[in-house]
Amino acid sequence: MNHRTLGSFLIVGAAILVTGCASVGVKPWQRDLLSRQDMQLNGNAIDDAVDDHLYFSKEASSGGRSFAGGGCGCN
Amino acid sequence: MQLKREEGGVRHRLIAASCALLSASAGRAEEAPNTGIERALSDWSLESALAYYHEDGRVQAIEPVVSVSKAYGDGASIGLNLTFDALSGASPNGASPSRTPQTFASPSGKSFTGGKHSYAIAPGDLPEDPHYSDLRAALGADWTLPLERLLTANFGAKFSYEDDFYSGSVNALLARDFNEKNTTVSFGASYEADSLHPIGGTPVPLTNYALFEKTGDQSKDGTGLLLSLTQVMSRNWLSEVNLSVDRFTGYLNDPYKIISVIDAAGDVRGYVYENRPDSRTRRSVYLDNRVAWERSSAGVSLRYMTDDWGIHSETVQLHLQWWTAERDKYVQPTLRWYRQSAADFYTPWLYTAPDLSSASSDSRLAALQALTYGLKYGIKLRDKLGRESSEFNVRIEYYQQTQENGLPGPGALRGLDLYPDLKAILVQIGFRY
Repeated sequence: MNHRTLGSFLIVGAAILVTGCASVGVKPWQRDLLSRQDMQLNGNAIDDAVDDHLYFSKEASSGGRSFAGGGCGCN
Repeated sequence: MQLKREEGGVRHRLIAASCALLSASAGRAEEAPNTGIERALSDWSLESALAYYHEDGRVQAIEPVVSVSKAYGDGASIGLNLTFDALSGASPNGASPSRTPQTFASPSGKSFTGGKHSYAIAPGDLPEDPHYSDLRAALGADWTLPLERLLTANFGAKFSYEDDFYSGSVNALLARDFNEKNTTVSFGASYEADSLHPIGGTPVPLTNYALFEKTGDQSKDGTGLLLSLTQVMSRNWLSEVNLSVDRFTGYLNDPYKIISVIDAAGDVRGYVYENRPDSRTRRSVYLDNRVAWERSSAGVSLRYMTDDWGIHSETVQLHLQWWTAERDKYVQPTLRWYRQSAADFYTPWLYTAPDLSSASSDSRLAALQALTYGLKYGIKLRDKLGRESSEFNVRIEYYQQTQENGLPGPGALRGLDLYPDLKAILVQIGFRY
């Protein structure tokens, strides 16, 4: 995939997302389930950090969920 | 969450709110913190864990982590976290098993007969340095700051120290809410600078291992960009997609890894130090979905990553969570599947003195698959008024990594276990207050 094709995909994708996102969602008083700890994207930060450190030291990929990098000389 | 300001009836609402606050204060008078320390700590939350990691026949590690954070009324927050790692055991040095005994020098050794500075590997065994040990201390801080009603900034910094490796990184992220805060778009950048001080010096890449040619300290640094979209899809469904790219340049070798040089009969002729390209650019797409029900929730995340070393990887992670009817206990099973292709320059051995610009036999750069099975159990603890105040949890994970498409060994190497599986277990206890 060349850069022009990739750029077109990104622009079209962003347009679909922006128009699509405006039609979904909830009102502020409908956030009871969303406010639960198990629905927070970083609700288990320590578990994620321990796991990420393990995978960083044993595999060739890391990051994705947030900023990559390990601050570790193990890989 | 901040609601839209309304023009009319503000005075009445203020009076009503004041009455509500006063009544709430009266209700809480009995439970107000009694001492100065309790008052000072009441705005803080604490999360801590102690993890023990054990690989079958290789390294083991113990990792305590403490994280504290404070949330302010205006949406700002600060957080600090401290991590220690104590690692010891046996670590593969990159060489292949052989039909004959092999002798290696530890990183600080300068000969193969130096007593504690050398080690011998029995025929058929994977060469591993049995004296591998490391200590790491890492300190991280982050600060979230609301700039406007719908615009938030986040700044982070992290420092990490090991005997042979120092690392410092900073990052900044701007998040903008749209669509009644159902949509959040974030954009951030990061910078990391690492300094490497290999024990015994930095080996000269691709030189003969027996000559112990070493140079001085090395460094590498990297920059990264992250674009994130978080969307509330419905009352019980949250979705996030991240695009990230990072580029590291500098010394990207593992200074402790060597490669066997063998002949056509599979006999070892010597070893050379590995050499990787001096830059690496990675791109990834990450998708996370969370769905909640009354007493359960599920999370599914997918990640695709690719880099200019020829590695492509896919990760799928699933976790489920079930609560008891009283919502005071939960169980959370987890399953993770990971697969990666090999780096272009990965080779389990070389046949001649290297005529390649890059070569590494590090099994982490090989084609491999890994599975993780996990189970977590948590108990919510209540204070004397029956409110949830803290949580105790324990989790266990089993990790198994299997190398794929390994080259068959020539001649004498035939029949040896050249690519043994990696099996590891992680046990962690955690406390949240």
